[in-house]
Amino acid sequence: MKKAVWSGAVAAAVVLLGSSSAFAQQTANASIAVTANVNAKAKLTLSVAAINFADADPDLTPVFTSAPVTVDVKARTSAGGSVTVTVLASGDLTSGTDTIPVNTLTWTAAGAGFAATGANDATTAQTLGLWTNSGNHNGSQTLSLPNLWSYKTGTYTATLNYTLTAP
Amino acid sequence: MAAGRVPAAQTSNATLNAAINSVARLSLSSAALTFPDADPDTVPSIQASQGPITVTAKARTSPNGTVTLTIRAGDQLRSGLNTIPEANITWVATGGGFSNGTLSATTAQAVATWTGSGVHTGTQTFFFRNLWSYATGTYTLTMTYTLSAA
Repeated sequence: MKKAVWSGAVAAAVVLLGSSSAFAQQTANASIAVTANVNAKAKLTLSVAAINFADADPDLTPVFTSAPVTVDVKARTSAGGSVTVTVLASGDLTSGTDTIPVNTLTWTAAGAGFAATGANDATTAQTLGLWTNSGNHNGSQTLSLPNLWSYKTGTYTATLNYTLTAP
Repeated sequence: MAAGRVPAAQTSNATLNAAINSVARLSLSSAALTFPDADPDTVPSIQASQGPITVTAKARTSPNGTVTLTIRAGDQLRSGLNTIPEANITWVATGGGFSNGTLSATTAQAVATWTGSGVHTGTQTFFFRNLWSYATGTYTLTMTYTLSAA
């Protein structure tokens, strides 16, 4: 009988010891490797696709001036990489065989990184904007053309090609 | 049975001990998460290619004990010297006890909380904020999940 009581006491002790550690905090871990790919990109948006200078009296309007053209530049490049916007004219302003030199078509620009002034060229692309690193850039460009009595009548046209480069 | 004999009877007790200890087990449906490149204008928030990650948490704890699942980034997203804040990774969760959140490298963020023992399953769909301002590169980090059963 004495032996039976002793056995019962041992069993109770085991249960109590077990309960003291049974609810110790347990943790489990797992991990996920994350990869994000960021590639080079360039996006250039102009607010207009055409600029028209209406005929005017040279004495009253000595210079044709366009409305500001909004230039929106978005680029992703490497750290420290250069982002440039250049403009290259297709040629002089022409009307049949008559021409007006395209380098008289000048601009003023506003916005961080934009060249404040410039003149178009048909042989060498002219820098309109220059920045470093990825990002968004907004500015405006206003084009001007002298209105001279010496011009022959006609409808003169030229195309300005804008190029955004983000290496 | 012979007449006049009393049948023998004996009683014996056995003590059964069943040890039910705290256990925590966590499994994820994927060990990798990839965000593909995309145009920030058309895809401002990129969903991970793997789609929803299924999270299964099994825990034994004390009655009314708290079971928590947290996630923590090892660092910012890094590509060489270039970094993108890990907070640009967020998730949307489904499942009882699961919650939406934003990744952090400094503080473990709660993914789910439950009370008592049980098996819980949910999903996390991860998104990467896609900005023009990022430098090009392949950015990586490691996310660590911790399931705790108190």
